[in-house]
Amino acid sequence: MSDAMLLNWVLFLPLLGAVGLLVMPRGSAPTVRMVTVGVMTVQFLMTVALYAHFDPTVSGLQFATSVPWIAEWGVSYAIGMDGLNVLLVLLTGFLGPLVVLGAWTAIERDVTMFHVMVLLLQFAMMGAFVAQDLFLFYVFWEAMLIPMFLIIGIWGGARRSYATIKFVLYTAFGSILMLAALIYLVQALQNAGGVASFAFTDLMQAQLPLDVQIILLAAFALSFAIKVPMVPLHTWLPDAHVEAPTPGSVILAGVLLKMGTYGFIKLGFPLFPDATRVFTPVLMTLSVVSIVYGACLALVQTDIKKIIAYSSISHLGYVMLGLLSLDLVGIQGAIVQMVSHGLVAAGLFLLVGMVYERCHTRELSAYGGLARQIPVYAVFFIIFTLASVGLPTTSGFTGEFMVLLGAFNAAWPQHLDGNQLPLILAVVAVTGVVLGALYMLRFALTFLFGPARAPHAPLNDLSLRERSILAMLVVSIFALGLFPDGALQKTELAAKAFQSRMTSVQVGAHAN
Amino acid sequence: MPTNDALLGMLPEHLLLGGIVAAIVTVLLRMGRTLALPVAVLSVLAAAGAAFWLGAAGTTLEPFPGQFVVTPPVFMTKGMLLLLAVPVLLMSRTEFEDGEFSILLLSSLYGMSLLPSATSALVLFLGLELMSIPVYALIVLAFRRPQCAESALKYLVLSGAASAMFLMGLSLIYGETGSLSVGAFAQSVTASDPLTRTAVVLVVSALFLKGAVVPFHAWAPDTYEGASIPVTAFMATLSKGGVMLVAWRLFDGAELTGPLVGIVAALPLVSIVWGNIAAIRQQSFRRMIAYSSIAHAGYLFYAMLGPSAGRLEAITFYVVVYAAANLLAFAMIPAAASDEERDRLDRLDGLFHRDPLAASLIAVAMLSLAGIPPLPGFTAKFLIFRSVVAAGYSAYAVFGLIGSFLGLYFYLRVIQRMFMSVGEGARTTGNGQALARVAGVLCLLATAVLAIAPGWALARL
Repeated sequence: MSDAMLLNWVLFLPLLGAVGLLVMPRGSAPTVRMVTVGVMTVQFLMTVALYAHFDPTVSGLQFATSVPWIAEWGVSYAIGMDGLNVLLVLLTGFLGPLVVLGAWTAIERDVTMFHVMVLLLQFAMMGAFVAQDLFLFYVFWEAMLIPMFLIIGIWGGARRSYATIKFVLYTAFGSILMLAALIYLVQALQNAGGVASFAFTDLMQAQLPLDVQIILLAAFALSFAIKVPMVPLHTWLPDAHVEAPTPGSVILAGVLLKMGTYGFIKLGFPLFPDATRVFTPVLMTLSVVSIVYGACLALVQTDIKKIIAYSSISHLGYVMLGLLSLDLVGIQGAIVQMVSHGLVAAGLFLLVGMVYERCHTRELSAYGGLARQIPVYAVFFIIFTLASVGLPTTSGFTGEFMVLLGAFNAAWPQHLDGNQLPLILAVVAVTGVVLGALYMLRFALTFLFGPARAPHAPLNDLSLRERSILAMLVVSIFALGLFPDGALQKTELAAKAFQSRMTSVQVGAHAN
Repeated sequence: MPTNDALLGMLPEHLLLGGIVAAIVTVLLRMGRTLALPVAVLSVLAAAGAAFWLGAAGTTLEPFPGQFVVTPPVFMTKGMLLLLAVPVLLMSRTEFEDGEFSILLLSSLYGMSLLPSATSALVLFLGLELMSIPVYALIVLAFRRPQCAESALKYLVLSGAASAMFLMGLSLIYGETGSLSVGAFAQSVTASDPLTRTAVVLVVSALFLKGAVVPFHAWAPDTYEGASIPVTAFMATLSKGGVMLVAWRLFDGAELTGPLVGIVAALPLVSIVWGNIAAIRQQSFRRMIAYSSIAHAGYLFYAMLGPSAGRLEAITFYVVVYAAANLLAFAMIPAAASDEERDRLDRLDGLFHRDPLAASLIAVAMLSLAGIPPLPGFTAKFLIFRSVVAAGYSAYAVFGLIGSFLGLYFYLRVIQRMFMSVGEGARTTGNGQALARVAGVLCLLATAVLAIAPGWALARL
């Protein structure tokens, strides 16, 4: 089987699994779970094979498939992998089986329906990452909403109705403006060149005047920034995370939040490079505000899920900062930070979910001294906390360090030219690391140590299933932290291409 | 008049007429209960098959030159709309047992089928009236409810007023140009003398009234609520499609310019926004669908802003997708002791736990109506908004899209009711529920095909 074919299988396997579950005659809950884990594992192994075969010396698309879909409009079914999505595809594949294993005891109602939704969500997320056609991308981008809407709405907490509608309305509002912008973009391209095409490669050729670029980027950026989420568009995230069931939170933090930053690096910025330069000060400021404000909010939360939700906002701020620095180290750091946050936040939400299953409360003040009662749990919790803080040897360190280095690299020449803003922002961003240490360590301190307070003691320590899920995440966190070379090589050419496109294209500015 | 063209060009209509006669005969022979429905379904299938066959043959037939001309895309349009009548017929068994429903529906279909091929104002008017008149009777047919008389009367009076305005407008054009052809109307659209302008505004108002566009929409919720489920399903989908075909026919070849753009864009835009907002507060399923259909009329009239060449494709595709989704929802509405109860939205609470199939299919219908990809409702909206942008009205497109975003809320509320709340009520099975389910599954298949391969359908329009 060719690698291109394999990528198609990776994409469609979850869909086939979902259809299989629907037609399977009255499967019992364990069977449904086994089948889903099986499908997800096979998909993960396939993504590993693709990752291994991915040639870091080739720039551009690999494993590409492109066939006309709606020929009249120039829409094609075009998928492929490049340095920007290779790690995210691997991350999505990796988290798939872990999510299902993590949901083993958390989901008791409507088990078949739940797993069908998880598989459909996996299909849509994978599709959004590998799509190389704007129409196809948009279809997958929007299609993600519905399974997530149902996962939060059916299996969520007490205020699930409110949270899930808020989640959908926020993200859909951004998407509807993106839809208007993409229709306009394609139409402008058609008017200029006579070719109707939604392929990314064709759209990159569009030469738009600066004022049009600015409007279109504003629409795309709004949609992506809601998904990231960047302050002040973040308010849906804490609600969604708090009300979502554990597997929902894991998918949301692990993969879905990467959609926004991936959208920026893959589409938003490269499509409108001139407008991006105009927006850079604003977006950069918002990223740093997200880092610091997210960390400050995490510091004062009393709900353990909210602490991690706000920490996500802070950590994704780094990703945006790295991308906007347009420094090679910063861009690569942003990509590593995306993967790292996916692994760490997934682990933390799983840990919180595990203790919630045992104690049924999310109040931080209800807990204390868990380290003595469930020591294995405490060890894992400390590891993930340190990875979140960005301790060297963990992936969190690699990502944050590279982003900050990139930000300073980019800021220094500008500082010498008399533009102080980037340097100030970079310095403020560093305080986010300190705040991050503060809120995570405070969390760990009250949670694990201090006077013993567990709502439903005595507690059972982690089961073998739970230990193996967390162990796999820990291994990957250290792998990315200690040996980031392999991953960095795979993304290097794509990061360079992104950088050169962003720094050299001046076409639109001239046309204006 | 070439005989062969008269036979072939009107073959779908002939088959429908045959079906009407055969259905009347079954009723006369007191076999209406068992035979009228199969006869009607067969004749609709045959008519649709004939339309597809003639459309695929790719020849333009002119049975009555200057009056009735059928091009291949028009054949395809007829075929697709006629196929959508099959689920309406199948779901009719939940409310109507005798053959009258089938006969009246076939008559209405006959009128609808005349519309896209009419090239003279007379045939167009004939088709429009033939499509509407049986529907008045269909509404009253459910005389179990007191409201249906009120509902039918409202529809009769307002539809009559629309017809009068339509006739008045066309008469003015006739007086001006001396021609009854629809081409004469299309040429007058751009004229700026007061008389022609009055005529165009009268015709457009009549179309807005028939299509339920704000501010001519107030009849729709009352009428839909008073009629029974199958009749509402027909009015909200195929009747509306017929009105849009009239609009396409009249404006074919004319690009909208000047102040007319203001009318044809602004009122549908208000319709989109108001329909989607007013639907939120409804407690009755049919009233909600009525407001949803007011919003959808807005999208459909938006298609008139686009370049003339792409309008039939955009309108037909939208109507087919929209009708398939609506009929899907109507077919799966669970049975209840009384019609009023069946109509209550809160009866959908917790439906997923009582009847997962029905809940899932209604959810698919709602998502398609809301325009969420990958469901075809998205593709259809995309086509219309793209044509609006292509014609240079980007601002209207943006406002229209934001208006469609407002609709998301009430469609999702229906899904929340079914999946996320607890409701009581045993699973009830009523008359003809099995046939209605077949209708639902057929609509689901159509929706799936249109979602996976929209290009296949679009290439044929």
